[in-house]
Amino acid sequence: MKESWKHIVLNLVSLLLLLLGINLLYTKLFFEKDLQEYSSIINLVREVPLEADIIYLGESSNNARREDDLDPRKISDFIADFYPGLDLYDLTKPAAHAGIFKVLLDQMPETSEVETVIVTLNLRSFNAQWIHSPLETSLQKSLVLLKPYPPLVNRFLLSFKAYEIKTKEEREMDFMEQWERDNLHFPYEFPHENVRKWDRWMAYEGIPGDSGEIDRALTELACHHIKAYGFQIDTLRNPRIADFDEIVDLARERGWRLVFNLMAENMEKAGQLVGEDLIFLMNENRELLKNYYESRGVMVVDNLSRVEDEQFIDQNWTTEHYAENGRKAVAKQVALALKSWYGYEYRDTGY
Amino acid sequence: MLFNTIDFAIFLPLVVVLYYLIPHKFRWTLLLAASYYFYMSWKVEYIFLIIASTLVDFFSGIKMEKLADRRSRLPWLLLSLIVNLGLLFSFKYFNFTTENLNFLFQKVGLSRELPMMKLLLPVGISFYTFQTLSYSIDVYFGRQKAEKHLGYFALYVSFFPQLVAGPIERYARLAPQFRRRQILTYDNLVHGLRLILYGLFIKMVIADNISGLVDQVYAHPENFASLDILKGVVLYSFQIYSDFYGYSTIAIGSALLLGIRIMDNFKSPYLAKNISEFWQRWHISLSTWFRDYLYFPLGGNRVTKQRWVLNILLVFLISGLWHGANWTFLIWGLLFSLLYLLERLVNRLLNFQKAHSAYSAGHFLLALKTFLLVTVLWIFFRSQSFDGAMDIFRLLFQNSALDPQELIIPGSTWIFLLLFVTSDVILYNRRFDSWVGGLPYLLRWVIYGVLLFGIIVFAGVENFPFIYFQF
Repeated sequence: MKESWKHIVLNLVSLLLLLLGINLLYTKLFFEKDLQEYSSIINLVREVPLEADIIYLGESSNNARREDDLDPRKISDFIADFYPGLDLYDLTKPAAHAGIFKVLLDQMPETSEVETVIVTLNLRSFNAQWIHSPLETSLQKSLVLLKPYPPLVNRFLLSFKAYEIKTKEEREMDFMEQWERDNLHFPYEFPHENVRKWDRWMAYEGIPGDSGEIDRALTELACHHIKAYGFQIDTLRNPRIADFDEIVDLARERGWRLVFNLMAENMEKAGQLVGEDLIFLMNENRELLKNYYESRGVMVVDNLSRVEDEQFIDQNWTTEHYAENGRKAVAKQVALALKSWYGYEYRDTGY
Repeated sequence: MLFNTIDFAIFLPLVVVLYYLIPHKFRWTLLLAASYYFYMSWKVEYIFLIIASTLVDFFSGIKMEKLADRRSRLPWLLLSLIVNLGLLFSFKYFNFTTENLNFLFQKVGLSRELPMMKLLLPVGISFYTFQTLSYSIDVYFGRQKAEKHLGYFALYVSFFPQLVAGPIERYARLAPQFRRRQILTYDNLVHGLRLILYGLFIKMVIADNISGLVDQVYAHPENFASLDILKGVVLYSFQIYSDFYGYSTIAIGSALLLGIRIMDNFKSPYLAKNISEFWQRWHISLSTWFRDYLYFPLGGNRVTKQRWVLNILLVFLISGLWHGANWTFLIWGLLFSLLYLLERLVNRLLNFQKAHSAYSAGHFLLALKTFLLVTVLWIFFRSQSFDGAMDIFRLLFQNSALDPQELIIPGSTWIFLLLFVTSDVILYNRRFDSWVGGLPYLLRWVIYGVLLFGIIVFAGVENFPFIYFQF
């Protein structure tokens, strides 16, 4: 046994030396290449100059545009128009959510002079379908190399899939199960116990088109609205809440002012297609998010019903993609909110 | 939980440490709990399938042992077969059968359409079903005494290193090892770790770096030139081998850390001189299962020539179907049986197999022939449909892509592939752990360094689950 221990110690020392050597080799020769290949999201942070005053974290809602837009710029550009004296930069990553924003903010250098952080608060990102989105695997994967460990450890974590790996089918099962599991609670009698049942009912009943016949496309869109907005945020269990909470903690730690920009949803269409029950849920979630984060010192800009139906680019799907006037309307509300801190820099743009 | 994940990298050491810390009498409980947790980390509710299988076979075994003659045991064997194969059928073959019945109804003009089920296939169901069936059959024939301890039996069915993709172990070999008081030995520790290291390397560096390339070719073969399709087809041979061999090697290494020895599943199969030898070297635990529980009961080769041919056909067809509920697997099995029969005939006439010793030029030529034949058959195995397989064959010879996409194989993949092939030649009839143990200290550590460096720095980062998990 004594001989065995000698072997074990010798092997452990050899292993340690080997790992140190590999780490040196990896850091010098491979890490940057891997960052560019698997975590190019880091470039978004690298592009933000240290002197930036405000950063805007957005997803596709920031840079979506319609063909007939005269000014195709982003929401963040429109906000910047109100403050020509401030340096505002955006970190835009399509399909991103608070969990991604948190990691990006973590990467901000300590020497950065950023004062204010505006984070996109997308209501749909709290729904089961987004939480269990098949895109989640690749998004999570892109963050592994950015963890605060030595490069070799991060590469080890990436190689060993230190993120939630699930197939598309497994994730689909997950959100379908959640639709069935999460009961809906209304202060009045509501015939559908959960989203799954509500959705099935809608699919069965259908929505009549102009001819009086059931319009399948319209019905499908209504069902989609139910699945996108038919939920009640549970602050204890919803992972998105935890992500935003971490952003709040980080902002506090780094001394940033925090703004959550609650993005506009097509409430007009939701009301037309599904009715007041769905609007009730959307408003309830809106109030919950506002109260929850305002009580934590965050400025929440409520744009939920700011954009009218016509300004939504995707008329057959639920997105936060707005045409020019919609983007400007959202930007204006954020800009007005920032006035309380940067009133001296504010310039009216006529938006 | 996959072997090549951080979860398993935490789970395994934790189980090993706890295993040696607690008294022997509690170890089965720990291993059973760990095995159930391992399985439930994939899908909690499917553990009930394993529990159902376990209970049925456990009690059937006890009942069978109490009965003197086979005739009175038969109902209990049938119960075990019906429950186990019934579960397997429901989850794996129901939709395939329904789809074909619906097609048949349509052909004969019936408007009736049977409904399909939307169920996730339980990981490893074919493996643990076959494992537990072997026990019931052995008890029925009186070759195995029935287990009286439900815990040990449940552990036999669910032992986590080999639960989801084998090797398919026999009761007589595996279960007594659970009862034995295992002590942590330097040898087991080192050999186990070596196997895990090598297994991870071939899974993560070889298989996972090839998977994406193969997927590209099989998803849209029409986009590639014939030569690139050929590369994709050949790469698949290496992918499936390194994927499954890697998994089995990690399984064997993990079990060895617990002092449990499980059978080897691969022995350089692509160096086999003929199809018969290939099956003695490829997925050995399944081949021997079919030999012992299907081929021999059918009469093996102690029957008339016609009946023997039928036996061979049947074994390969069922083996094909075991792999998946698709006509492509049946065709794959059928073609293997035909090749097997053809080779037997040719060998009988020409008798040139035995003349070549290992590593001779003749051996390599025969191995190349076997490799090429197997590679061609893998096309059916990998394709999603018969038409898909036919497309690959057609496009291999008839290149019509106007502006073909190039299949870019990174230099590092070539290098690691070459290393893998070389190691497979070196390890012909040997196992990595023993071979590397015999090398001088410095050379051994150079090899560890290459493997470790490959695993951490060059592992494929896409998640490609072990291919055999789907079976």
